[in-house]
Amino acid sequence: MISLVRAELRKYFTTRLSWSMPLAMAVLGGLFAALQGLFLAVIGEFPGPDGSMIVPSEMFGEDVVARLVYTGGVQIGYLLALVLGILSMSGEFRHKTITATLLAAPRRGRLIAAKLASVAVIVAVNAVAFTLGSVVGGGLTLALGDVSLFPDLAGLLATFARMILVLVLWGLMGFGLGVLITNQVVALFVGVGVTLLVEPLLGFGLTFVERLADASKFFPSQASTSALDLFAGVDPGMAQSLGGAPDALSWGWGTLVLLGYAAFMAALGWLLTSRRDVA
Amino acid sequence: MTTPPAPSPSGTGISVRGLTKTFGSFTAVDDLSFEVAPARVTGFLGPNGAGKTTTLRMLLGLVRPTSGEALIGGRRYADLSAPMVTVGAALEATGFHPGRSGRNHLRVLAASHGIPDRRVDELLELVGIPAAARKKAGGYSMGMRQRLGLAAALLGDPDVLLLDEPANGLDPEGIRWMRGFMRHLAQEQGKTVLVSSHLLGEVEQTVEDVVIIANGRMARQGTIDELRGEPAVLVRVADPAGLAGVLQEAGLEVQPEDGGLRVSGADGARIGEAAHAAGHAVHELRPLRTDLERLFLELTESPEHRNRNLATGTEAA
Ligand SMILES: Nc1ncnc2c1ncn2[C@@H]1O[C@H](COP(=O)(O)OP(=O)(O)O)[C@@H](O)[C@H]1O
Ligand SMILES: [Mg+2]
Repeated sequence: MISLVRAELRKYFTTRLSWSMPLAMAVLGGLFAALQGLFLAVIGEFPGPDGSMIVPSEMFGEDVVARLVYTGGVQIGYLLALVLGILSMSGEFRHKTITATLLAAPRRGRLIAAKLASVAVIVAVNAVAFTLGSVVGGGLTLALGDVSLFPDLAGLLATFARMILVLVLWGLMGFGLGVLITNQVVALFVGVGVTLLVEPLLGFGLTFVERLADASKFFPSQASTSALDLFAGVDPGMAQSLGGAPDALSWGWGTLVLLGYAAFMAALGWLLTSRRDVA
Repeated sequence: MTTPPAPSPSGTGISVRGLTKTFGSFTAVDDLSFEVAPARVTGFLGPNGAGKTTTLRMLLGLVRPTSGEALIGGRRYADLSAPMVTVGAALEATGFHPGRSGRNHLRVLAASHGIPDRRVDELLELVGIPAAARKKAGGYSMGMRQRLGLAAALLGDPDVLLLDEPANGLDPEGIRWMRGFMRHLAQEQGKTVLVSSHLLGEVEQTVEDVVIIANGRMARQGTIDELRGEPAVLVRVADPAGLAGVLQEAGLEVQPEDGGLRVSGADGARIGEAAHAAGHAVHELRPLRTDLERLFLELTESPEHRNRNLATGTEAA
């Protein structure tokens, strides 16, 4: 089992993806964090719900601002994590390496378990690159806006840990999707499409259906925001004006919901995979 | 990982029993049964589309049989604890990641079985691509891919080798090398080799046993010598009828053929001497080779095997 995980890690580290992806992660994380910092720290004021101007660092405290800035790119981060997860399986079908892989690991349940473990490790490494990029990009704008860089170091470290966890969970969801849909192009299209388009539209649509209005907080993106626990210590009304969901899940529940999605898709994929002919 | 290659008389054989695979209403492999003897080279032959690759894929647990079973050393491939140490397979249409070097491809496989990387370099040396394998696989020729596939199959030093059309894409020199290599594996290392081909001539000099299939069904199995039949000699004289009498009296089987006589049961020397003793001047005396290629065509194109790929599929359903 350990040797299968090692083989999967070798697969990743012997292609270009092993350096291009962390690079993209760091650069995009930095850019989006810097952008967030531009609004929250450098410009440093925006109109609140009642029309009066809000100065974030005064209103919520510098720790919340730092948290929001450093996690400014989390959406792009988990999208890339999703892609990494998808590629783990669909890439095997695309390049027809699945035959060699299954000859080395004919018990498909074990192969899936080894791949799950390797995706977790690989995405975690990438998530660290993403976090480092975010700290550099966000830190730059925070400094420019004269907001303290690490107002609450322990709290920020917890946020970073949660961000890495969220990315890993998205990687696992992507893996499940890649097992379900072996066509790489379709899997990528569905994964990114659902996240960027279907989920927000559906969430918006549901606000009109009274009995389901609450359901959108269980959607992956919303659950991710909850899992990051960005708005700890912020008045819920204020949190909404910053993009938080009304009545959001607690961070623990958010994490569990994401874990549930990942487990569900991987299990379904495993079920299908164990019967599928590889010809 | 370093199982001694000492040929064991027991060895690891293959047994296929009542194996059937249908894709929708199409029966690709149809109630196929055969045994592959340990430490011998067996040719698995049949025209394109006969079901060879599908059968091998079922042996390897890649394709799920509709019914029947395919066992290696009495066990299913997926039940082998370290499969690559027992069975090495080089299948058609095995892909390589275009951005990964062949060497790294092998190192990935090696890692899955705890095989040291040193072995990867040894094998690349053995199949003759030590330098080229450091380049990305995207640019490999068919011959390179075949050699890399063979190296992958040999990685675990397995007892059994399944090679699917290994000569495809090789140049004549490569084909000769492959033949010698297979013989070496079976005779000196005691490995069981099952090699598929759609050309009998390609493996004729290499294989000891043959399993010939057509349209997913068994057409003929046995040793290559059985397939060739009894050796015969063609002899031409001025008076064939006279010589026929003499040879028949000597207990040989004689048939008129092509203006001369086809004699089986004796070699040219004996026949020549018999003719000389009886006063016949021999005009021509040559061994007749069974035209295996023609026999192969006859076997695989016989009426009960024809037309399957054109059939409506009602029979299979
Ligand atoms: N996955 C599949 N789906 C449908 N038909 C298939 C599949 N795989 C093979 N076949 C068909 O089964 C037959 C046998 O194919 P194959 O085993 O590749 O033959 P061979 O290797 O002897 O050339 C062919 O007619 C082929 O088209
Ligand atoms: Mg074939």
